[in-house]
Amino acid sequence: MGGYRPGWLNGAVAWATVIYLILPITIILPVSLTDQRFLSLPVHALSGEHYLRLLTTPAWTNAILQSAFIAVASTVLAVVLGTLCAIGCWRLSRRSTELVRALMLLPIIIPSIAYAIGLYRYFAKLGLLDSFTGVVIAHGVTGIPYVVITVSTALAAFDPRLESAARGMGASLPQTLRWVILPRIAPGIVSGAIFAFIHSWDELVVVLFIASRRVFTLPRKIWDGINENLDPAMAAVAVLLVAMTVLLLLLDLALRRQRRD
Amino acid sequence: MSGPAGHALSLQGVAKRYGDFTAVQGATLEVASGEFLTLLGPSGSGKTTILMMIAGFVEPSAGRILLDGRDITALPPERRDFGMVFQGYALFPHMTVAENVAFPLRVRRMARAERDAKVRAALDLVQLDRFADRRPSQLSGGQQQRVALARALVFDPALLLLDEPLSALDKKLRAELQEELKALHRRIGRSFINVTHDQEEALSLSDRIAILNHGHVMQVGSPEALYERPATRFVADFLGKSNFIEGEAEPDAGGMALRRGRARVVARGTAPAGRALLSLRPEKIVLLPAEGAPALAEDNVVEGRIAAWSYLGTGFAVTVETPDLGAIRVHLPAWRSPVAPAEGLAVRLGWSRDAAVVVAEDAAMAPQGHAA
Repeated sequence: MGGYRPGWLNGAVAWATVIYLILPITIILPVSLTDQRFLSLPVHALSGEHYLRLLTTPAWTNAILQSAFIAVASTVLAVVLGTLCAIGCWRLSRRSTELVRALMLLPIIIPSIAYAIGLYRYFAKLGLLDSFTGVVIAHGVTGIPYVVITVSTALAAFDPRLESAARGMGASLPQTLRWVILPRIAPGIVSGAIFAFIHSWDELVVVLFIASRRVFTLPRKIWDGINENLDPAMAAVAVLLVAMTVLLLLLDLALRRQRRD
Repeated sequence: MSGPAGHALSLQGVAKRYGDFTAVQGATLEVASGEFLTLLGPSGSGKTTILMMIAGFVEPSAGRILLDGRDITALPPERRDFGMVFQGYALFPHMTVAENVAFPLRVRRMARAERDAKVRAALDLVQLDRFADRRPSQLSGGQQQRVALARALVFDPALLLLDEPLSALDKKLRAELQEELKALHRRIGRSFINVTHDQEEALSLSDRIAILNHGHVMQVGSPEALYERPATRFVADFLGKSNFIEGEAEPDAGGMALRRGRARVVARGTAPAGRALLSLRPEKIVLLPAEGAPALAEDNVVEGRIAAWSYLGTGFAVTVETPDLGAIRVHLPAWRSPVAPAEGLAVRLGWSRDAAVVVAEDAAMAPQGHAA
């Protein structure tokens, strides 16, 4: 690659931006390993006690399990609905389907606090407040845009002649979907699933509105912990959250690379 | 690939309109059982639209399509049982060669043992048995083309439709695969319908050719009939090269004659008195130097000067400027050529009466003229 070399000013600004983005994340790692009993940097030695406490305190393990359950269930919901929507829009492919696709992106365009207030009103009437079903529906629906985007992108790269070829050889629509279209767009579906999972995994605003006693996801537990005491276990949780997200993003990256080869 | 012999297809006044645009104008065509028919025409002539209507992907605006006398116009493509080789092949990239070929059988829920045997036989047929476990992306263009053929033939289709099957290949490979395609057609005895814009491919492969232009079927006939007796200027020009001589027709003892300026050209056939057009193939003209050569014993002799020439390996393409007939293109073999072409060289041209044929101007010609 013989592109233009960036000047020193450009380089400095770029690196400053990178550091600015990453620094808050890097600070939680040493804090989570502190030997003190409040949120602080380690003083005498590194300690894993907060991680240990995290994995042995029922309140924390419960929150981890709840978050995982809600994330998995809402991902399934988002993937099924989002994929069906994307395929439907792609097959019909009219001006009205462009509108539908734009509508499906609303949950990530509208501020989540506005969305949460709306949800609160409806969920109150439907009796879904402070229930797992309610949170799964809320996270599932707000996760749909990620799936619609990734699956639509995969479909845009799909060669329509493959569908014609399948039909020409006698395949029905379900057979064509199962054996030709879905395998071709599977990487897009997986990408969408990863993003939908991450979305639910670290979502706080909606949960704050619609959950009270029963539903305690990890982000909500951290939120409450910060308000009530300065337990370093929260830094350990934050590291876990970040680690999970980074892991999933790396998985997505690996899948994309594999697809390109 | 056994089973009953080929099936016959019949198009009756099939038309396709898109809004104001007419892609295909009332095409009537018969494809006999076991026949290799080529739809030949320039891009935009409607040949692919006709193929897509036969395949069922495009719904005709008018007319009927019959298979062995049964109306299939309304049948969706997945229920027509036609094999098809798509432009660019449309192989499934996520499947191996064997899985690609097995696809039509899997769709038909054939038992695995029978399916495997058929896939093996189909891959044998196109000499790709060693590549069964490869992905299409690991194959060359020619091999991909053969996989597409095997996939289109494995389920014993009633017809094989080919949409520009060789256009993506380089010239040498194309010639090779033409031979194979021809041999394959002879071996399995199915009707093949091929779409191409390549006139050489059409001439060498087909039992019959249908020439299309602007959505009209201009002429249908055997390659030889179309080449030797084109009905219109377009057909003569599109299939091979041709000189056109326009003049006043008059009767002649041995056929007809055409008067243009001081020249009088005789040709076979008849033409009503008035304006007429002759087509004369460049390779049917003899060319000799004007001086120092024996007299030409041909029915037609004209004199002229070489205006341009080029060497083509097998021969020379020479353009001769004549006082009365204008520029005449001549193709003469390079091997032991009696003339060493040079610009401005005075030459004599000669051709026999049966070398030229009367053709109609395209506007005056009603489409669907059938040559024998």
